[in-house]
Amino acid sequence: MSAAGIRLHPACRVRQEEFGLLFYDLRGPRLLFAETGSLLAPEHFDAMRSKDDLPAGLTAQQAKVLKNFIEKLLKRGFLREQ
Amino acid sequence: MSNRFVEQGLRSPVNLTWEVTLACNLRCRHCLSSSAEPAANELNSTEALALVEELHQEGVFQINFGGGEPFMRPDFMQILDACHQRGIMTCISTNGTLFTPELVAQLSKTSMVAIQVSLDGAKKETCETIRGKDTYETALRALELLTQSSIPTSINTVLTTDNADEIQELQNLANQLGVTLRISRFRPSGRGADNWEELRPSPSQLIEFSAWLAENENIRTGDSFFSLTSQERQGLGLNLCGAAKLTCCVSPDGMVYPCAFLQSDRFEAGDLRKNSFKQIWDSSEIFESFRGLRIHSCEDCQRFDQCHGGCPAVAYHLKDDIEGGDPECLERCVTSIADAKEAETAA
Repeated sequence: MSAAGIRLHPACRVRQEEFGLLFYDLRGPRLLFAETGSLLAPEHFDAMRSKDDLPAGLTAQQAKVLKNFIEKLLKRGFLREQ
Repeated sequence: MSNRFVEQGLRSPVNLTWEVTLACNLRCRHCLSSSAEPAANELNSTEALALVEELHQEGVFQINFGGGEPFMRPDFMQILDACHQRGIMTCISTNGTLFTPELVAQLSKTSMVAIQVSLDGAKKETCETIRGKDTYETALRALELLTQSSIPTSINTVLTTDNADEIQELQNLANQLGVTLRISRFRPSGRGADNWEELRPSPSQLIEFSAWLAENENIRTGDSFFSLTSQERQGLGLNLCGAAKLTCCVSPDGMVYPCAFLQSDRFEAGDLRKNSFKQIWDSSEIFESFRGLRIHSCEDCQRFDQCHGGCPAVAYHLKDDIEGGDPECLERCVTSIADAKEAETAA
């Protein structure tokens, strides 16, 4: 059995902005402004991937922040876990 | 509180209103765009589909279709499909007159569409006074059809003096149907300007409505840029006018404006037949002026953090001064009631 993965919820969209990522949820509608800079690309959420699968080259601190951020996205329903 | 990310400027709007046609089979007295016959030079199918592709490239999340009655446009389903194929979410504002089970079945094929059916009174006579004969039953029929589908549906009501006392009943009706209620502010543009004095809610009605809204936090309003509850708006720091910052409007002939209520030459940001959407969004002087707009005259007001000066469109239509603050804001409503009482006492 494969491990659970995450991806963008079908009702949500994300795009790159200067400050980082802008998430949009049609169900609200809701917005989420994430000051991630260029650490995470919107495409990161296109396909199913493990929660721990983060871009290469991050510092330990950056990886920790992004992991927390992904948990927050999951909790708020912007991501779906399968 | 304001949203610093929005203040910095977004690369494109979060959503936009696209009035795909001026054609309408109704003549609602409050219509913001005086819809009736199609505009002389509406974007043709090829141009409309090219615009969908361009908006997709720019990352626009959602298009709110209005008009006119969008379903009067023969290629409307084609335009919708083009949006959905590209992952653009859509919301359609409709009078519901052209809804059939077949149309609802077709719309149900995607999960990317939401529909708002206009209904301007909980009572048949109230709705028909504003929207015309048979509009009440027609809207209810459309709503009933939609409730049998999975399409997120809402009743869209424009608050007027005629229906201000029926808002709770409308909420009850929405609950009964299993849809949400969205209430928009009446603004004096289009045919709404001609009927402004007759239909505008009184200051006391606006205050009552505001209090009702505070107690009914699940009610969405269409103010600013898109439907949010007042709590959500406050939480995001988006209790500000979103024109040219988060949203804008495309008219049937491809002109771009800061919002649907400011579709006049003075506020023309660009022409999609001459410039790309990106060029207009990035470089329009009108958009720049809206992004820098500060209502200094309101800054000392106790409510400034909640409204940031209110709606520039209302300020423009009523006072010809977008920097003058919203003449119908709650603070001014309170003052106007107090002044009226004082004048009455003096007399």
